[in-house]
Amino acid sequence: MDNVRERVPTGIEALDNILNGGVPKGNTVLITGSAGTGKTTLSIEFLVHGAMAGEKGLYISVTEASEKLLENLINYDFFSKEMIQKGIIFIDIPEIYEKLGMNKLQFTLDDINILIQNIVKIVKEFNVKRVVIDSITSICYRLQTEEKIMEFILRLSKALSELGCTTFLVSELLPSAKGYSQYGVEEAVSDGIILLGNLERKGDLLRTLRVVKMRGTSHSRATYVLDITSIGILLVPLLKGGGEMYL
Amino acid sequence: MNIDELKKRLKEYNEPLSLGINTSLSAYIDTIKLLMDEFTSGKNIHLIYISATIPSRSISSILEIYGIDEKKVFYVDCISHLMMNVAESKENTVYVESPTMLENIMLKTQYILNKNVKDVAVVVVDSINSLAIHNDMKILSEFLHLFVTFLRSRNSYMVILSIKEQATQEIMSIINFVSDETLEVD
Repeated sequence: MDNVRERVPTGIEALDNILNGGVPKGNTVLITGSAGTGKTTLSIEFLVHGAMAGEKGLYISVTEASEKLLENLINYDFFSKEMIQKGIIFIDIPEIYEKLGMNKLQFTLDDINILIQNIVKIVKEFNVKRVVIDSITSICYRLQTEEKIMEFILRLSKALSELGCTTFLVSELLPSAKGYSQYGVEEAVSDGIILLGNLERKGDLLRTLRVVKMRGTSHSRATYVLDITSIGILLVPLLKGGGEMYL
Repeated sequence: MNIDELKKRLKEYNEPLSLGINTSLSAYIDTIKLLMDEFTSGKNIHLIYISATIPSRSISSILEIYGIDEKKVFYVDCISHLMMNVAESKENTVYVESPTMLENIMLKTQYILNKNVKDVAVVVVDSINSLAIHNDMKILSEFLHLFVTFLRSRNSYMVILSIKEQATQEIMSIINFVSDETLEVD
């Protein structure tokens, strides 16, 4: 069954092993977790590996100017400025809002349509195959109702999937959150959920990763400890013998 | 066995394996020196030294005194951070914040292997006794079992050092469980 869907390798070897080869092509995946857990780094690495494989990437920055983001980004051994210029398009969403006259606190259904049309236009124009929206939570804030959030994510996912795009939606979680997304809707309409966390064990703080759900593939649901390094994200299984606490 | 016999025994190994060395305190430094020299000189093998007993800087100084080339030696230092003793980092050293962060020891080893080692590596854990001070036995045995399995999949060796005077029955049971062979050195 795992061979039915074409895979998009994230390029993070251990994560691709967990997913039996990668994310099923066309899936929309929620990359969710609290601050400092590695969501943006993982998403960028997904785009960088895509660019290295000749797949154009689109990074839509909602909360942080992409220029600042690139300055603070880890210096990967396999990462170069030329690669960014050639393989990844960085767009700051406030510029799109400005261009479309959408500088308002609450979006209507028409606004949602216009926003999706514009993202799709960029994807078509540059033949983009990997998309990251960082973060979806900030867009959801302007949609305000569960119905509109659901409508936005479903329409966007469908449109991008039809274009052969695999999409990562970065979702901000409060450390105290019970579910996998701030509004509760994002997790229900996404094809996959990759949960990143901070785990405290006897005073040590470990970064963790767990694939909670991924449509179109069997996968491990175990928890892994994550390290962000210059050669990319590395993972090892979480040892179960310790008394730990999730933050 | 004595150091010369250990040297002879090490030369006989051809396949990646997991080795426990229970050494007396008096032979401890000679054992480290021998492992470094034997595994790295003239061979296409890298040595990753996990220091949980003595800071990597001290091990490095000892090797320097004995004139052992460190070109193919990397350190995963688990003790210097804890002692707030990481003034300047060396190119061949990565630090783990505490010897209780066992997963991070595996991650840093994986990092060195992926980044620097194309062929076989020997990973020396110095020592299981020090790790046992900071971790309970259940998580320590789970760690060593996983670590050994991971290294075997990378065609690499693991050498677990134990200090005879500090080794409990429980420690020896773990070593015997995860090692293909345990050697006693005096």
